[in-house]
Amino acid sequence: MAVELTPVAAPLQGGLVDAASRFFLDNPDWGYVWSNRDAILDATVVTVQLTFVSIVLGFLIGLPAGVAEVYAPAWLRVPVETVGVVVRAVPILVILIYMFYVFSVSSSPFIAATFALGLRSGAYQSQIFRGAIQSVGEGQMEAARSVGMSKLEAIVYVIVPQSLRRSIPGFQNEFTIVLKDTSIAIILGVTELLGTAEDLFLQQNRTGTALELILAISLVYFVLTVTTNRGLEFAGDYFGVPTGENA
Amino acid sequence: MSDPLLRVEDLHKSYGDETVLRGIDFELERGDVEILSGPSGSGKSTLLRCVNRLTEPDSGTIYLDGERVSGAGTDVNELRRQVGMVFQDFNLFLHLTAAENITLGLRRVKGLGKAEARERAMEHLDRVGLADQAGSYPAELSGGQKQRVGIARALAMDPKLMLFDEPTSALDPELVGEVTSVMRELADEGMTMLVVTHEMGFAREAASRMMFLDQGQIVERGPPEQLFQHPEQARTAEFLQRITQLHGGEST
Repeated sequence: MAVELTPVAAPLQGGLVDAASRFFLDNPDWGYVWSNRDAILDATVVTVQLTFVSIVLGFLIGLPAGVAEVYAPAWLRVPVETVGVVVRAVPILVILIYMFYVFSVSSSPFIAATFALGLRSGAYQSQIFRGAIQSVGEGQMEAARSVGMSKLEAIVYVIVPQSLRRSIPGFQNEFTIVLKDTSIAIILGVTELLGTAEDLFLQQNRTGTALELILAISLVYFVLTVTTNRGLEFAGDYFGVPTGENA
Repeated sequence: MSDPLLRVEDLHKSYGDETVLRGIDFELERGDVEILSGPSGSGKSTLLRCVNRLTEPDSGTIYLDGERVSGAGTDVNELRRQVGMVFQDFNLFLHLTAAENITLGLRRVKGLGKAEARERAMEHLDRVGLADQAGSYPAELSGGQKQRVGIARALAMDPKLMLFDEPTSALDPELVGEVTSVMRELADEGMTMLVVTHEMGFAREAASRMMFLDQGQIVERGPPEQLFQHPEQARTAEFLQRITQLHGGEST
């Protein structure tokens, strides 16, 4: 399936200069934004879906990878570390192009975008979990082994539960990054927030309203970021337990 | 039943160039309470950890209840199911309450149901005087309480042998007594115990035997009174005199 790369930058550049000057010099035109609120709401749903699926995929990749980086034997650990280093070294836009055009993981731009965002997030989440796991004291593993639990049982019942709580601050960052980076799916024509905003001012020839649209979706990103961060903080408190050293 | 409960034969352990254990042989009979004593770096903690293979010995053989439990073809988890361990730093599971610290092993290792595990955990918390702290997290407990939960966690697994690795060394002095009194009760009930400690009061009162280690070897072994009053080796005498000055021969 041929998908046309949307030439994002050029029209934005020309349009925004106009729009910005008119916005700051004249009255802004919020009426056009408001009349397209349904399209923006639909786009918000797409952005949330992209974020959620990518974060879950990244978690499913990142947690086992983080565990493997700490506890796996070399034959498994070294390949996992290597893949992580490579993925983290490639820009997200390039990963997306690989996923869609080179590996053709899916003919659906949405699915290809979740693969790219999910894989990249997995590579970063693995480091969040690795750090959290390493911050759990060696004594916890020893205590679990001393009652006769296997290494895997100790990881599942003792190490991972404590690591998850410790990884919430890093996870908040990662969530925010994935949420905002869903906007790169615009290059595959996914109608997430940025793509929709662009459709609204390009296809209807309303480049004069570009800045209002960009501001509107910025507000949506901001609200989503703040509410999810608060939500994660709440979850951290809710599932949190009193902590102390040497207990 | 003529086998000793624990038999350790020719145990060796090195870390790189540093030899920690150089040929340890000893036996424990059922009900023995043996103190492992010796200067820092003598290998006493390493020896204790080799018994349940938290530290894997380089060579030598361990028998528990007549069965070989070290070397090829043995299951380390099976060994640890039969040997309880109490740590210097308690090592309670930080994300679990006192009761859950005990039920985790009962459920995952012993395969008990939820209710049964809970009941058994409460019995053992009661035994160490902490039934009222069942719902407390480790960070909410004092050091002495933590260590008593640690003991209850190990005991609940119904071990044949209990290992104590400096169980009172991380405690404030006024909290030592509550832990040693639990250990003394355990000794009185006939539990076989191997204890690394500097608490000489506990050693004199509760131990059936004492082992003095230096530089990875057993220097001297015998009833505590004999080692305190008629040590055969100058090293033993010197060390025990110093440690008694520091940690008291008086009971607590």
